[in-house]
Amino acid sequence: MLLDFHRLGGLKWVLVGIGLFVAAFLLLPILFTVALSFGSSQWLVFPPPSWTLRWYEELFADSRWIDSTLTSLQCAVLVTILSVSLGLLASFGLVRGSFPGREAIRAMFLMPMIMPVIVVAVALYAFFLRLGLGGTLFGFVLAHTVIALPLAITSICNALERFDKSIEDAAVLCGANPWEAKLRITLPAIREGLFGAAVFAFLTSWDEVVIAIFMASPTLQTLPVHIWGTLRQDLTPVVAAASTLLLLFTLALMLVAAWFRGRTK
Amino acid sequence: MTSVSIVERGGGPPQRRRRRGGGFSYVLPALVLLLIVFVLPVLLLLLRSVTEPELGLQNYRELVESATYGRVFLNTFLVSSVVTAITVLVGFPIAWLLVILPKRWADLLFGIIILSMWTNLLARTYAWMVLLQRTGVINKTLIGLGIIDEPLTLVNNLVGVTIGMTYIMLPFIILPLVTTMRGIEPDLLRAAALCGAGRLDAFRRVLLPLSLPGIAAGGLMTFVMSLGYFVTPSLLGGTSNMMAAELIAQLIQSLLNWGMGGAAAFALLVLTLALYALQLRLFRRTQAGRA
Amino acid sequence: MMPFLDIRNIKKSYGGTVAVQDVNLTVGRGEFITFLGPSGSGKSTTLYVIAGFLDPTEGDVLLQGKSLLSVPSHKRNIGMVFQRYTLFPHLTVAENVAFPLRVRRMPAVDIQAKVAEMIRLARLEKVQDRLPSQLSGGQQQRVALARALVYNPPVLLMDEPLSALDKKLREEIQFEIKRIHQETGVTILYVTHDQEESLRLSDRIAVFSQGRIDQIGTSTELYQNPATQFVAGFVGNSDFLSCRIDRVDGHHAQIVLPNGAVVGGVRSHGSVKAGAAGTLMLRPERVRIRACTGEGSDTGMAVTVRDITFLGDNTHFSVETDWKQSMAIRVPFGRTGAEGLAVGGRARIDWVAEDAHVFDSVAQV
Repeated sequence: MLLDFHRLGGLKWVLVGIGLFVAAFLLLPILFTVALSFGSSQWLVFPPPSWTLRWYEELFADSRWIDSTLTSLQCAVLVTILSVSLGLLASFGLVRGSFPGREAIRAMFLMPMIMPVIVVAVALYAFFLRLGLGGTLFGFVLAHTVIALPLAITSICNALERFDKSIEDAAVLCGANPWEAKLRITLPAIREGLFGAAVFAFLTSWDEVVIAIFMASPTLQTLPVHIWGTLRQDLTPVVAAASTLLLLFTLALMLVAAWFRGRTK
Repeated sequence: MTSVSIVERGGGPPQRRRRRGGGFSYVLPALVLLLIVFVLPVLLLLLRSVTEPELGLQNYRELVESATYGRVFLNTFLVSSVVTAITVLVGFPIAWLLVILPKRWADLLFGIIILSMWTNLLARTYAWMVLLQRTGVINKTLIGLGIIDEPLTLVNNLVGVTIGMTYIMLPFIILPLVTTMRGIEPDLLRAAALCGAGRLDAFRRVLLPLSLPGIAAGGLMTFVMSLGYFVTPSLLGGTSNMMAAELIAQLIQSLLNWGMGGAAAFALLVLTLALYALQLRLFRRTQAGRA
Repeated sequence: MMPFLDIRNIKKSYGGTVAVQDVNLTVGRGEFITFLGPSGSGKSTTLYVIAGFLDPTEGDVLLQGKSLLSVPSHKRNIGMVFQRYTLFPHLTVAENVAFPLRVRRMPAVDIQAKVAEMIRLARLEKVQDRLPSQLSGGQQQRVALARALVYNPPVLLMDEPLSALDKKLREEIQFEIKRIHQETGVTILYVTHDQEESLRLSDRIAVFSQGRIDQIGTSTELYQNPATQFVAGFVGNSDFLSCRIDRVDGHHAQIVLPNGAVVGGVRSHGSVKAGAAGTLMLRPERVRIRACTGEGSDTGMAVTVRDITFLGDNTHFSVETDWKQSMAIRVPFGRTGAEGLAVGGRARIDWVAEDAHVFDSVAQV
């Protein structure tokens, strides 16, 4: 019985062995980075000869790290707001509407997700260069919204399709006007989908490198662009410190997601 | 008794008839954004590939004929195939394990996969850049164990790219595979066992064929994503072994050759879409077989 | 004589919770036995132990004198039909039926012949090239049956095989199962929670309750002489009245009802002790009811009629005792005595002493 864990016999230990190996493979580089960020060696000697907070001090003393983080945050928040609201509207239209070409439009919304990012990046690079949007926050937000939108729409559409519309109709029959019914009944019911859309949109923008490299100017960089630039020069432990902070941020996000799932269930 | 009972046929509330054309205005804002910031720029790029430096298909001809570009696409295919093969071979047992592990352990393994997936891409790539260096931990460990005498060149070549990309792609194959394998009724394998099938027969004749849709979907997705991947190849790969996405970036950013860059981008785009179309057809076929 | 299938003292526990215990059962060759009981009573667990999906904590399962426990499932040569068909979705009907023979590495010619025979037996000729997803529920279950029988297993296990089907289809397949049982002579262990199904199908019934077998017997034995209150309530309809046990005399007892009436000659079961609380059980069709002609002069017990429903071949009376316990009484069409009864009116009931049973009061399940 290959799908009964306790009846697998020796095969069970083969699978567990592969599982441990892969868990180590996925986890070790991350833990390794954390260790390096506290190591004193400029040349990334491992295990570190002694421990220090020097790289974190350098990180916080450098205005380029702080500025690019703030730019990234600003950009990601705006992208989240924009893609969730546009995505919510579009999802209502896609799930409930019946206009001609609905399926084709739905497929089209997924295109930026399917397409290699490099193609989107060079296309937008050329386009924004012409419009003078290169190196502006507005340009960053527009570009990232386009690639975050498919994820937001997928997440919200799924939630909306699971939601029984007759509940909203019942609210209208109870005397709520259609907008009130959507606001008070439908939105809370699909909040998990909305939350998923927000997380995905945020992470898409926050982690995005390729488009950002093409769009960045020396005066306006997102955090990934700054890391990228640093990495191309040398493998300084400051990047390890930045990576560790980013890891903490991811962990926090996972906890929020788990808490949110626990609350809605 | 003379009472008449009225039996409702068909059951359920009447479907509300939808207005034709309803809902389009909801879609409009997102659609306008998509058309202006996505469709139009991509079309303009395509246009440049057939107009620069002059009108015609010369860029595409060069793309096909030039040995340099040929090697780049060959590299891309090679790395993508190897990465796909490794992720399928490793991802399958992991997905299997995730489906059958007791919940606590499955949740832990899931957590590790999600953590690695959500950790900043550059942070993960940085770790591998350091680990794979000539003086890095992996080389030192191998020398320390006496397996090798001289440090291996693990970075700035396709080996580094393959390791780094496998690391990044692994979650993308595991997650769809888990979905497929969760859908397989454990009783099916109990039935197979009682029918007389030993482990190998049950695997070969039941578990594997039923997991195949997930393997195909996940594998194709990994392959397609690998084809267009930019970050890992540029950081872990060498300048002599470029992959397609790097080529496009270099043509446009360094050489300002918009015509060639556009042509290469368009070639990659068509390839990607064709593979997705293939996947969609495969998926529909297996769905039709099950429905 | 050595029993064909011998289930000895099976116990299965998970950590501290006991799923089944003290399960003992001997089955003769060709017998049709149902495991009857509510969900969670341990009947499926017992079946899974026999199939080899679970290892028992204690006990043994012997087939023709040989222990099965060390034999892995795929070598036990036992057939099984599951609750949810469990046909291989990627194989056609014929391929599904051929599966057990393929993995036994039987020559292709023999497989073809054997599969054709089974397809005929299960009447699946018209659908043999279809995929399971293209079949109706009833057809799928027939394929499952054919697949389980194609390798001539000495024992066939069936785990609530009809619970996913509607009533009409269920009766149809029950008939098929009986026919196939007669034609093949296979020994069948059949799990169900449907008492009607078990009465209709099996030679003997094992009634499961809370991880144990309460009683094993033919359907008539269970009905006429239930060993526990649970069996009485689960097999057939019953009325239960609370009472106190006055005196026990061998297999009979004298009891006192809450209104003070003393009833003698009641058949006692289990560890009924004098002075303890008990439960009196009556079958609704064995209780006689008639209208009161005048207070005090009648024999029997006075009750109040709460509802009368005419059901064609019988009439159903819902009555209430003076201490507010309700009872159901069925009067066959044509029997006299119940004329003139009206809802809200008084009536008198009585019964033959031999038809009354008393059990020690256990927590009602």
